[in-house]
Amino acid sequence: MATNNEIEGFGRVSRTAGTLFRYLLLAATLFGLVFVTILLVYVANDAIRPLTADPGWHLTFFLTLVIPTLAAGAYANRRDIAALRTGVFTIGFVVVALMFSGGAAMIFVDIVEPLTWLAFLLALAVPTAVTMAVVSYDHRVSFVAQFVVTVAAFYLSLFGVPGPLGSLAGVSTMVPSLFGFVAGLPFAPAPWLMMAMTFGPPVAYVGSRYVAGDRDRRTHVLVGAGVLAVVLAGGALAPFAGVDPVPGVVVAAVGIAPPLVYAAGTAVNRPTERVGLLVPATVVVGSLVGAVAVDVVGFAGPQSWVDWAFLTSSHSSTAAEAGFYPAIGGSILLMLTVAVLAFPVGIGAAVYLEEYAPNNRFTRIIDVNISNLAGVPSVVYGLLGLGLFVTYLNQPPGTVLLGGATLGLLILPIVIISAREAIRAVPEETRAASYGMGATKWQTVKNVVLPRSFSGILTGTILALGRAIGETAPLIMIGAPNVKYSLPAGLSEAASAMPLQVYAWSSLYAGDDFYQKAVPAGVVVLVAILLAMNSIAIVLRNKYQSTE
Amino acid sequence: MTRNESAVRTRRQFLTGVGVVGTTALAGCQSTGDSGSGDGLSGSIDIAGSSTVFPLATAMSEEFRTEHDGVDFNLQSTGTGGGFANHFCPGNTDFNNASRQIREQERQQCADNDVEPVELTVATDALTVIVNNDLDIDSITVEELATIWSAEEQPELWSDVNSDWPDEPLELYGPSDASGTYDYFIESVLHSGDEELSHRQDYSGTEQDRTIIQGVEGSQYAMGYMGFAYYSTNKDRVKALAIDNGDGEPVEPSLETARSGEYQPLSRPLFTYPAKSSLAEEHIAEFARFWVEHSTSEEIVANDVGYVPLSEEAKQEQLDVLETAIEEAQS
Repeated sequence: MATNNEIEGFGRVSRTAGTLFRYLLLAATLFGLVFVTILLVYVANDAIRPLTADPGWHLTFFLTLVIPTLAAGAYANRRDIAALRTGVFTIGFVVVALMFSGGAAMIFVDIVEPLTWLAFLLALAVPTAVTMAVVSYDHRVSFVAQFVVTVAAFYLSLFGVPGPLGSLAGVSTMVPSLFGFVAGLPFAPAPWLMMAMTFGPPVAYVGSRYVAGDRDRRTHVLVGAGVLAVVLAGGALAPFAGVDPVPGVVVAAVGIAPPLVYAAGTAVNRPTERVGLLVPATVVVGSLVGAVAVDVVGFAGPQSWVDWAFLTSSHSSTAAEAGFYPAIGGSILLMLTVAVLAFPVGIGAAVYLEEYAPNNRFTRIIDVNISNLAGVPSVVYGLLGLGLFVTYLNQPPGTVLLGGATLGLLILPIVIISAREAIRAVPEETRAASYGMGATKWQTVKNVVLPRSFSGILTGTILALGRAIGETAPLIMIGAPNVKYSLPAGLSEAASAMPLQVYAWSSLYAGDDFYQKAVPAGVVVLVAILLAMNSIAIVLRNKYQSTE
Repeated sequence: MTRNESAVRTRRQFLTGVGVVGTTALAGCQSTGDSGSGDGLSGSIDIAGSSTVFPLATAMSEEFRTEHDGVDFNLQSTGTGGGFANHFCPGNTDFNNASRQIREQERQQCADNDVEPVELTVATDALTVIVNNDLDIDSITVEELATIWSAEEQPELWSDVNSDWPDEPLELYGPSDASGTYDYFIESVLHSGDEELSHRQDYSGTEQDRTIIQGVEGSQYAMGYMGFAYYSTNKDRVKALAIDNGDGEPVEPSLETARSGEYQPLSRPLFTYPAKSSLAEEHIAEFARFWVEHSTSEEIVANDVGYVPLSEEAKQEQLDVLETAIEEAQS
């Protein structure tokens, strides 16, 4: 017979171990988060110095901004939680859009001349139109002939006759390219008008599609005209605010018009969420009223190191005068280059591996090694960039192109892995249905798989770019400059970058002054830009999951 | 397959082609965007090399840009040797800063790539050893200095080092190990003898020269070391020791003895090496001239950066070297 002890213990289990385990897990979850948060709060306090503001300044904004916003939020929440969500999203949209418009404006102020931009767009638009015409009106022309016509149209438009091929052979230009012709025009519209011409119509078109939806033509035209008016107003009113008209147009088109369109779309198409717009409206009005009030009464704001001067000036040996402008611009250019280089290659590899690759040993080896590549330290990629591009291919060190290529290699495995996940998430049934309709593999990939996985791919790519924007080691390895005073004028010029500038300040100018002023300010800007990028990725992912 | 379907298919193929050609063309767009803003001079100047000279080069470039804002600089701190080997001699930079003279093998490497370095002395780096005004010591030998600061000996009392000195505890102040001054002290004093001593760590290390002076001023038996420039503006508060480099003749630190090289081993000349071929470009030649002409400036060299400026004669000498090189390069 069994002993009594066993029967007594039956069914009794201590829960202490389980509870302990649970809270240990919670501690593990919060561990890193708490430390990083403490550091960021500390740094932000150093950079923004909220306590240097007049108490009256805090009180004014508390009364005009915080209380009304909370009240509006509570009201919207009581009416409909979805409305509150829309309202909060709109605020985020405004902030992120304004940040990106600042970056875009930077490019057109310092790097690309408006006339060059217009000429480039025209030189692309004309041959595109020719291509569309050739393809849609003459089905009998063979693929090869159409291809030749298209390539010729682009070549003529961008390079002229005989173009670079001719100059290789020593023949001088006979027919100038469309690009060269427009860019060399002695008369051109005012730069800001050219910007409005290039930015206005696309934004207006998308805006009218979004707001007017399937309403009649008149509504479409009205909405489009409204958006166009906002863009034009940006250029026309900018001089009154002491800003150049060109960045005015860019900010209006990229930073102001899209949130307005979103708000209008909410107001027109989603009546239940309309009340949520109260929240962003309160924030905007409250900020303006507060700003005017403290100005009138004379309450001093915080003496933040992250101010307009910091964002628009370049490095100085005096910490208080040091600025971040070349570093921000350099990082933007680097990210554009990385995106252009890594995105197509990464997606190409992902599509091949998911859709085409046979399941054999070779593919499995590739598979494992791509995962391994994602874990290779960034300094090794820096060495690769230095060895491959500088030593072997003889490129000048530290250029935008070189940095972009090196960082592109660095994030390529991450792009491939995340794109593969997005492609794998497309249900097998949709592919089967496509094949069932008689579609080929290529048609299925193009019409079913890629459109459905696109936002997932984009999410992964943006997160990967977020990793690239914070990388320092590869840039040091390839010889990017520690100090640079202006933006690079082209892809083949040396560029600074935000993390590199912060590193230079904290190592080469090691001193209390830089640690307390320039370094925290730089970190705050870097983290803010990173969060803006990640927020776009998160919004895209949510959208992608909800359409699933 | 019907005609319509094939048309749709080829259209997509064409759009892909459009994208490919468009992306290729993007590179061409950038090069047309250059515009020579600023007054006259424009272009960019690449500078790499010694981290000791880096702050001086940055200060000069900042000052230069107040007059010529069309000129941009790419400044990098790579160390003297790294700058020569990886950047200057392969022909990628216009200037290489150096805290020592170029070595023969570096000269050879440059010559192999047709890069001819022009040697310019731009400042003098000097260290000053300071004690309290009330302490009855006026000079010290390099050997004694090495004993006091070595991690191997770690003397507790002044009398441990020299029996003539007071029987009192040593109180030490110096720059922290992140500082170039710290490295220079190790190199010139602790490594001056046969064995390579290491720097003791039980001293008050700080980034701030001000704190070193305060510490030494406040305690009768304290000792510290720091860059000469900061001491020279605080001569009343502390006393600088004369340094005896083993020959029994202590040399007082001063602008003159530092410049002339008598104040050894605690002073060294700092150099920059422009490539002669780069001097053919007007904006680079102009910056080189600017740098040498301002190498006598107390304001930039001593106050902003903390080095000893050149004397008028030394500047004139460097200017002659430079002008000859520019003339040869531009002819």
